[in-house]
Amino acid sequence: MAKKQEIDARHYDVILAPHITEKATLASENNAVVFKVANDATKPQIRDAVEALFDVKVTGVNTIVTKGKVKRWRGKPYRRNDMKKAIVTLKDGDSIDVTSGI
Amino acid sequence: MQITETANEGLKRAYLITIPASEIDDRIKAEVKRIAPQVRMPGFRPGKVPANLVRKMHGEQLHAQVVNDTIQSSVDELMKDKGLRPAMQPTVALKDGYDQGKDAEIDVSLEILPEIDTPDVDGIKLERLVVPVDESAIDETLQRIADQNKTFKDAAKTKKAAEGDQVIIDFVGSIDGVEFEGGKAEDAPLVLGSGTFIPGFEDQLTGVKTGDEKVVKVTFPEDYQAEHLAGKDAEFAVTVKAVKTAEDSKIDDEFAKSLGLESADKLRELVKAQMEQETAGLTRTQMKRQLLDALAAGHDFAVPEGMVDAEFEQIWQQLMQEASREEDSEAAVKEIESERDDYRRIAERRVRLGLLLSEIGQANGVQISNQEMSMLMQQAAQQYRPEDRERFMQFIQNEPMAAAQLRAPLYEDKVVDFLFDKAEIEEREVTREELEAAIEAEESTEAEAAKAKKAPAKKAAAKKAPAKKAAAKSDDKADEKPAAKKAPAKKAAASDEKKPAAKKAPAKKAAASDEKKAPAKKPAAKKAPAKKPAAKKD
Repeated sequence: MAKKQEIDARHYDVILAPHITEKATLASENNAVVFKVANDATKPQIRDAVEALFDVKVTGVNTIVTKGKVKRWRGKPYRRNDMKKAIVTLKDGDSIDVTSGI
Repeated sequence: MQITETANEGLKRAYLITIPASEIDDRIKAEVKRIAPQVRMPGFRPGKVPANLVRKMHGEQLHAQVVNDTIQSSVDELMKDKGLRPAMQPTVALKDGYDQGKDAEIDVSLEILPEIDTPDVDGIKLERLVVPVDESAIDETLQRIADQNKTFKDAAKTKKAAEGDQVIIDFVGSIDGVEFEGGKAEDAPLVLGSGTFIPGFEDQLTGVKTGDEKVVKVTFPEDYQAEHLAGKDAEFAVTVKAVKTAEDSKIDDEFAKSLGLESADKLRELVKAQMEQETAGLTRTQMKRQLLDALAAGHDFAVPEGMVDAEFEQIWQQLMQEASREEDSEAAVKEIESERDDYRRIAERRVRLGLLLSEIGQANGVQISNQEMSMLMQQAAQQYRPEDRERFMQFIQNEPMAAAQLRAPLYEDKVVDFLFDKAEIEEREVTREELEAAIEAEESTEAEAAKAKKAPAKKAAAKKAPAKKAAAKSDDKADEKPAAKKAPAKKAAASDEKKPAAKKAPAKKAAASDEKKAPAKKPAAKKAPAKKPAAKKD
């Protein structure tokens, strides 16, 4: 039991939040969900995490790193944080209610 | 939607409305569709949020709102279907155990307005009792004003001050040999017998002459307003500087000028106008009463209990407030308590007449113009502080209930006026005593419902207390007086009615003459204390 919780905690570190946008809604037509994930998460990690947390079968994971914009504040440039998104395709018939949270 | 009648008793109705879950669901869907184009959500362009997401985000709110709307509309529909005219806001309750996705069951209970045949307004015969202003009464009033503005003249040095004379004195007061604050004055005028000083002070000064010195010993009364002096013995060293005798003041132009008027004639006119106004108010009250009696006699129908209750509550509260101001408040409360039934009858009568009047008004197209309404609002706003007036106006504009409350008395008056126009009116000249007696007589003839009469006269129908004020102000200034008088009188009258008739008669006369005095004193701005006893004896 303790071991499982530990594994769970690791998974929670990988999957940060669902990414709910218009584009993400379009993706759902192909039975895919979009998550924000940790910057250093790998595709296998993401697959494991989604499968463990939502109890679904993942058929594919694509990731994108969105670089943070360079902004200026009081003339001084700074960078917004980068963000990694993962588009997770699920097996036919499986689904995740992204709005309900984990 | 399913409606079942669960109660039908007299004017009371109760219904159970069942709204199926699918209907609510449909409405929610429609609502979602309606608001979707306006929803903003991060990650979506405005209005592009998918419906299921909207539902998820705002579902709870939407549901509550939809249920509310549905209840309201179904109640409205119920009214329309059954042709109900509710007397008051119906009580609507959602049954316990309702949850999203279940059928909603609503309990509605209400009282309906009775069916009133539009009363026949033609051919009501009324008598207008007109009181010509008596010249001698004017004289009397003028004399009284004159007396209050007496001038004093120096008397001979040897003249001993008597009751009614004015003495100019210096005095130093002390308690146990120590001077106290406020106990010292120079050249203070004091009219002996006027009772302005501590009791006993003036008596001891009777018989002094100019230049006399005297020590006056008095005891402050227990209820003296300065607490540290109350009940103490004090000595006043008094030096009499002058003794003056009162001079009879004549009513002439000079006297009028001293009051700030042009001439004696003007003063006379003013007094006359004042007295006329006074009696005009009484005349109207009397006519209104006749009218209401005529209406009440011709109609008898069941009255919604809820309205009666509300009206009764109001009367009750007012009475209780009056009672609490009374010296012997417990006895007063008891007395009122014992006449509970009577007051209930008053309430019923008021409600009935109110319904009747509004029915007549509607049937005959009596309306209140916007202009009148705004005037009314202005008047009502007067009683607030300037900075609050704007808020008050807005409040009235936004709250139809409040506006209705304001409008009601004016509307009622207009209907009464309308009826006056229609009615056959006979004029008859009477004296003031007769007019008052007529009002009183009407009160006693309807032995049981007697007090009821007073009630409608005051605010003829089921009108709310705050509205009453507005009513008095609105266009019925004359009415205001009897109304004000009646309020305290009401209780006294209650006890009056119990006394044997023989006793009543003289009491009434006293009231009549007393009331004459009350207005007489008014010009001197001293009516307040004078009026109260008059009203009480009424």
